Amino acid sequence: MKIQVLILAAAGLFISACNKTDVAPVVLPVVTSTQSLTVNFSNTKSFAFFSFKDSAVVANSDSATTKWDIGLRYTSFILNGNASGPGNAGVSMQDGIYSSLNTAPAAGYAVDTTSSNLAIKDGSWYDYNTTTHAFVPKAGKVFFFRTADGAHYVKMQLLSVDYLPFVGQVPLQLVYKFQYSYQPNGTKNF
Amino acid sequence: MRNKTIVFFILLLSITAPIFAQQKFLNDTLVGTSDPIVVTANRSERKLSNTAVPTILISKNTINKTGSLRVQDILQEHTGIILVNSTLGTSLNGYPNPFGQGVQMLGLDPAYTAILLDGEPLVGRNAGILKLGRIATGNIKQIEIVKGPSSSLYGSEAMAGVINILTESPTLEKLSLQLQHASNNTWGSTISYTNKYHQTGVQFFLNRLSSSGYDLNPSLYGKTVDPFKDWNGQLKITQEIANNMQLLISLRNHDSHQDNNCQILYQNAPAIAKGFTTETERSAYTQLKWMAAPNTRIYFRTFFDQYTNHSFVNLENTNIRFDETSFNQSVVKPEIQFEKIVPEKSVYVAGVGANVEMINASRYAGKQQLATLYTFTQKEWYLLQKKLTLIAGARLDKRTDFDVHLSPRIGVAYKPNASWKFMASAGWGFKAPDFRHMYLNFYNAQIGYSLLGNNSLGAELQSLQQQGLLQTGAVITNYTTTIPLLPESSFGWHIGVSYHTKKITAEWGAFRNDIKNLIDVYTLPFNRSNGLPIYSYRNIGSVYTEGVEMDTKYQINQHWSVAGGYQFLLAKDKQVLAQISNGQLYKRDPVTYQTTLVSTQNYFGLANRSKHSANGKVLYENISTGFDAYFRAIYRGKFGFMDLNGNNIIDDNREMTPGYWLLNMASSKAISKAFRVQIGIEDILNYTNALQLPNIAGRTFFININYSIQHYSTNQNL
Repeated sequence: MKIQVLILAAAGLFISACNKTDVAPVVLPVVTSTQSLTVNFSNTKSFAFFSFKDSAVVANSDSATTKWDIGLRYTSFILNGNASGPGNAGVSMQDGIYSSLNTAPAAGYAVDTTSSNLAIKDGSWYDYNTTTHAFVPKAGKVFFFRTADGAHYVKMQLLSVDYLPFVGQVPLQLVYKFQYSYQPNGTKNF
Repeated sequence: MRNKTIVFFILLLSITAPIFAQQKFLNDTLVGTSDPIVVTANRSERKLSNTAVPTILISKNTINKTGSLRVQDILQEHTGIILVNSTLGTSLNGYPNPFGQGVQMLGLDPAYTAILLDGEPLVGRNAGILKLGRIATGNIKQIEIVKGPSSSLYGSEAMAGVINILTESPTLEKLSLQLQHASNNTWGSTISYTNKYHQTGVQFFLNRLSSSGYDLNPSLYGKTVDPFKDWNGQLKITQEIANNMQLLISLRNHDSHQDNNCQILYQNAPAIAKGFTTETERSAYTQLKWMAAPNTRIYFRTFFDQYTNHSFVNLENTNIRFDETSFNQSVVKPEIQFEKIVPEKSVYVAGVGANVEMINASRYAGKQQLATLYTFTQKEWYLLQKKLTLIAGARLDKRTDFDVHLSPRIGVAYKPNASWKFMASAGWGFKAPDFRHMYLNFYNAQIGYSLLGNNSLGAELQSLQQQGLLQTGAVITNYTTTIPLLPESSFGWHIGVSYHTKKITAEWGAFRNDIKNLIDVYTLPFNRSNGLPIYSYRNIGSVYTEGVEMDTKYQINQHWSVAGGYQFLLAKDKQVLAQISNGQLYKRDPVTYQTTLVSTQNYFGLANRSKHSANGKVLYENISTGFDAYFRAIYRGKFGFMDLNGNNIIDDNREMTPGYWLLNMASSKAISKAFRVQIGIEDILNYTNALQLPNIAGRTFFININYSIQHYSTNQNL
């Protein structure tokens, strides 16, 4: 199993290396979008996968492909790469104002090294409110992602995390609202 | 229907008051002209006007006039005493807060105020809050509140101050019966009897209080406050052993039973769970007072207090036990106190004692014990024909788990004449880490996270790892050796001026407290195997609170008096202020999602603190006709409730609970020498806030009937 993942990861690297050599000269518009993603409030149920390029949820049956960039459940983010998937996704978290941070860092992208050592550490992006039990995303946290194909960059910030209405005392699902820009031309500028 | 009742009630009050006001009687006395004796500020008897630290006295007379059954309601009518909810324990979907309300003083949480009953500390705090409902109001003689660091006399917990509830002592024969009825099917009945036979005095008190509770949100299953039944009893015996020796024995018990009734999620389907909580408290206190020489007193005291709490819910249909918790805490506290008075010159107080606390609770790692040895000393000098008072004192506390802690206090009071008093005091306070910080072992089975006390952390992590309940590859070596928590410590000062004449009392004060080593929850860098976090406690925070307060009382004539009080408070986290000035703290508008930097002006301060709080009182009293009416207004300004804009601080109006008023009124009339009837309304405006302030029940009405006969000795007029 582990070997398989490594092979897939190696393939991913290879593909990304290829892509870097032939950047398309066509100017594509930057994809900007605000999304609401419904995520399981559980660490045993399945992840919700998302593709920045397509602005769409990716089916769980495609979990072993590079169609998705990030996966979410409870308060855990996984990135499509290394221990979590066949892609080459990475992340760099920056502090600042979303609209003013317009260049993705040149290097320093963290990856999911192992399933217990993820690029995005639990608790690094939210404050847990003991009064309301809310997971409030920290303001001024900007995520720069390298997508699963290893060749494109995304600037993202979380806007809200809310419980879906539920009965009793334990919620079942969370709704993550976030905004992002996807740069289709492969540069790090937004 | 309800509104009509209120209108009638107010009419009745407004009609009766002037009628009685027109009658003339000669023997009315003005409230507050005598100089009462207080004991808390200096651990020995002092006239209230002679204390150098800010002290509030609530007399039995005042308590009776409010007609209130709850100690906390009486307390919150005084300046700077704010009733707050625990920040912990609010459950999802607005279920009631199981920890109830506590007292916030000088902007500090309820855990930082020592609550004493007859001078001895009560145990059984839950999340730092001591349920004041454990104390019946019927046999309170007076309540003394000392604001400001008082650890120099009372040790840990007295960082914000001390509330000492003093109960009645045996007097000449007197029998009192009281029957109380209030909204929400609330019934109270009290019997108290006191007598003195030669060298023996007896005081007996028994009180029962029950209520059907109330429901502020009918759309949600279950009541906001479930039905409850409380019993309180006390027996005090005094015995003159010799001319110079008196023995006091006090036994007290409290029993409470409250339903638990809630909707839960069981196997992914909503289900009803039912059960109840029983609480018991037993305490025994003995004191031997020995007047070893004229002006020399030695007190030998022992105090024992045991508190238990058992709570469970079963699934309604199957009777499967869904949740169960138990909590037992007890304290044994022997103490010797020495007091030496040099008339007109000085008073010296010193003492030595021990405090052994034990806990055995389902959420704690095994049976735990903490022992503290302490000694305190204080000297008070009277100089310049008693115009100047100087106080210096200190206390040493040595608990088994940390180094000797020193808490000094100094104070000065200057009375140039009968009207003016200037005072200043400064002291160091501390609060030792409590059982919860050290030994909690709580696993939330519903959600799946763990909260572990600092001292049980290492062993519990090892055991979790052995059982495979930690995430693979978690490195726990940094946590296996316990780094002991340090006591939270503070330095505070107070300056004040008071002006006192027969008609006017006015007091102004300013205070500041700096607290460091605050113990707070942090997240460990690895998770449980279920991926959910593990939390523990460490010393991280440092905050300050500062403010001004003023109180004015005006006796208009022999019948009418008015009073008003105000507190301005700022309470801020120093780390947050540093982050703001470094440009590291952002906010995200919850509607527009615009992110901007937080400015210092945006930062309102710590949650749950109101900048402004105030109270006003109008009293009409005619002792000859036996009629009184007492109106009180309490204002609590807006306060932070929860973060909404992503920075975990209160910096936006939408994050605050708006200010509110509570108006209370009570009126009583003597029907005969023995009978007195009292009627009243609490929360006249019917203010409620089901989600954020579930302990405010809304408008309630009450009627109290008192029957009291006493034996008068010649010329004795009580």
